[in-house]
Amino acid sequence: MGRFIAVRVASLIVSLFVASVLIFAVLRLLPGGPAGSLLGVGTTAEQLEQLREELGMNQSLVAQYGDWIGGLFSGSTTSFVSGMPVNELIASKLPVTIPLSLAAFVVSVLVSVPLGVIAGVYRNSAIGVGVSALSQLGLAVPVFWVGVVLVWVFSLQAGILPSGGFPRQGWNDFGGAVSALVLPVITIAIAMSSIMVRYVRSATLDVLDADYIRTARSIGFSRGGALARHGLRNGAVPVVAILGIELATSLLGAVVVENVFALPGLGSELLSAVTSRDFPVIQNLVLFLTAVVLVMNFAVDLIQRAIDPRLRLVSASAGGGAL
Amino acid sequence: MKTRLSLATLALVSSLVLAACGTGGGTGANPEATSTGGGSNAATTEEIVIGSTNEPTSFERNIGGSSGISETTTRNVYEGLTSIDESGQVINTLAKDIAISDDGLTYTFTLQDGVKFHDGTALTSKDVKWAISQAIAPESKSARKSDLAVIQKIDTPDDATVVLTLGHKAASLPFFLASVTVVKDGDKTNTAENGTGPYKLAEYKQGDHLTLVKNDDYWGEPAKNPGVTFQFYNDETAMNNAMRTGALDIVLQEETPDQLMQFQDDPQFKVTEGNSIKKWLWTFNNKVAPFDDVKVRQGLYTAINRDAILNAVWGDYGTVIGSMPPVSEPWYDASYAEIHAYNPTKAKELLDEAGVKDLSFGIKYVAEPTQEIIVQQLKSDLAAVGVTLNLTPIDDSAWYEGVYTNKDYETTLMDHNNPRDVLWYANPDFYWQYDNKKVQELKVKSDEANSTEEQTKYIHELSGIIAEEAPSAWLFQAPQIRVSRAEISGFSADKNAEPFYVANIVRSN
Repeated sequence: MGRFIAVRVASLIVSLFVASVLIFAVLRLLPGGPAGSLLGVGTTAEQLEQLREELGMNQSLVAQYGDWIGGLFSGSTTSFVSGMPVNELIASKLPVTIPLSLAAFVVSVLVSVPLGVIAGVYRNSAIGVGVSALSQLGLAVPVFWVGVVLVWVFSLQAGILPSGGFPRQGWNDFGGAVSALVLPVITIAIAMSSIMVRYVRSATLDVLDADYIRTARSIGFSRGGALARHGLRNGAVPVVAILGIELATSLLGAVVVENVFALPGLGSELLSAVTSRDFPVIQNLVLFLTAVVLVMNFAVDLIQRAIDPRLRLVSASAGGGAL
Repeated sequence: MKTRLSLATLALVSSLVLAACGTGGGTGANPEATSTGGGSNAATTEEIVIGSTNEPTSFERNIGGSSGISETTTRNVYEGLTSIDESGQVINTLAKDIAISDDGLTYTFTLQDGVKFHDGTALTSKDVKWAISQAIAPESKSARKSDLAVIQKIDTPDDATVVLTLGHKAASLPFFLASVTVVKDGDKTNTAENGTGPYKLAEYKQGDHLTLVKNDDYWGEPAKNPGVTFQFYNDETAMNNAMRTGALDIVLQEETPDQLMQFQDDPQFKVTEGNSIKKWLWTFNNKVAPFDDVKVRQGLYTAINRDAILNAVWGDYGTVIGSMPPVSEPWYDASYAEIHAYNPTKAKELLDEAGVKDLSFGIKYVAEPTQEIIVQQLKSDLAAVGVTLNLTPIDDSAWYEGVYTNKDYETTLMDHNNPRDVLWYANPDFYWQYDNKKVQELKVKSDEANSTEEQTKYIHELSGIIAEEAPSAWLFQAPQIRVSRAEISGFSADKNAEPFYVANIVRSN
């Protein structure tokens, strides 16, 4: 187990390094730099050149990369546009994005696990088919469109929830903050549950057909009892893998949905940073998101090994080959 | 290990479940919590909440044109010696009096009495000197640097007097000085302490809002409302939804007419149409063949149905223009729009005369909805006269670098929002690379004019020459459409200057 963790941590670090190089390189390949959009029309080429120099854009790429990574650790990187420390900027957006994606994740788990099991167990009845059809529909509809419809129904027509925005006092206005997140959470959860219902359903089907369930039934367990005693744990392995990916998806879903609901979170920040080519902000933000996803995958591996002892055996004999 | 992990998982899951229950419970029980924007309770003591898509980029001074910061804080929080008022006129602000020497080279400004910064320090001529010297300093990256470069010397004979000595006559000096707001000697950023205006900076949350509160110690006419919040949006629909649900009092600017229908027939709202200074230009790179040929430019301009374009973008709003100046500037001339009026037959003749055949060239444009509508119209109008337009969509940053700075383009589409930017046609290095000696001469004459009438005459003539020669194809001036709650008044429908002055806005009961 110790060796497994060491190998995974090492691979996490290598992945982050590769990601940082990719993020850095892709931004440099984009046409247009931060200096131009900061200055706008009316300034001269000399002024632009001067600003590029001040922002460190005239250094070699290696030096720029070094500055960035150095700044990451010291926390000294500042936004090209606002001049604010980037880490502070990102931290100020977390109180919106983290609760949003976590709540969306939890809601979608609470909805999709029971629905997926029902769809699997009653696959041949109307209810099973109905759940499957609904999940197809949820998959087919674009996330932002769901947001637009929800705003129309619950804000513009019914007037019971805000159409967007977040209280100025943040979570100090607890009721305001919660009601600001309801529609965005539902929007993301609809998309996520639609995917997860399908995974849970097929995991349930696999389990239902498994030999050990038949054996359990034959020694006297009821169908529900056999599923609860033996099925849940076996079915959980593939589902947990999906949960990890889904938690990452909920974070990315937040990026899209925040713009529809004018929420001042990471997603809105990323959009404006890309528009103004605010390199330090984009770099730190994307690397942060990457790190969250990688750590999440790591956690999923650990949880899967906890649930399923066979995984531990496989990786031990293959010498950490589970990577 | 196994047990610990399972316990941890259980703890995590149960806390998430609890959090989710909290979410569900809170919302059902408390629908009143929707009034989060703060502007939903109509009362005179309430602040005014304004929605805008133009967020300030930086509070650092002398970087670019920073239209977001001027729109929200100039005149409201930070003041210049002069200001441009809502009608577009230059008015004295921190300057009580301006005396101009007979040769027009010395401007003596007497400062208002009793002006204090928001931290209580008195304003002196040294602060004014600092502000102006920073705007024209070698390291200045202000968009006004070249307009103010005429200032050779700044003297402060006493605390209440500033004397500017100019290199040559400059009739527009008071106009351009309006963009130089005065902060405390030595300050390089705009802060909560260093403004002098009717409002103080109270709170700024990047990516969300900017709050101003009334300055009770203001030297001039005090603000008529207790404070103002600018709420910023990336998405126009989200902004209009906020207006509909009562979270906003005013929407500063609507970008498309489709959004207006929801407000027009509702007595809760008022829709105002005013003039803007936003001009849409299809610009040629005048140094690149075949656009160096005036006949080609005229032919292409004549091929364009500007009325149809304006209608496609704005319906019945807006004004077709035929030169750079917008309606609000004194040298505007409606007849210029007729010079190259839409006429495909004449367009073909002009192109034939120029000897160009099977013309095909590109247009670089920022890929946004309005631009997409315009380029499609341009493309089909040009196809009708046998010209192929190849579309290259890019984004804002790529436009600044590729088109504006490196001048790597054939034609481009852009909106221009700066006051008096017609004078940029006198700069041969500007991105459209239009080099006309007569235009450059008229610019100098307008600078050196002895009266505003004389200045107006020269710039009017200059605008007429470019209208004829078509270095750009000016399409239309966008309308300034604002939406407000019916009980809100005291703001200008026009946008003739960058600042949105909020001190007169009131809410009636």
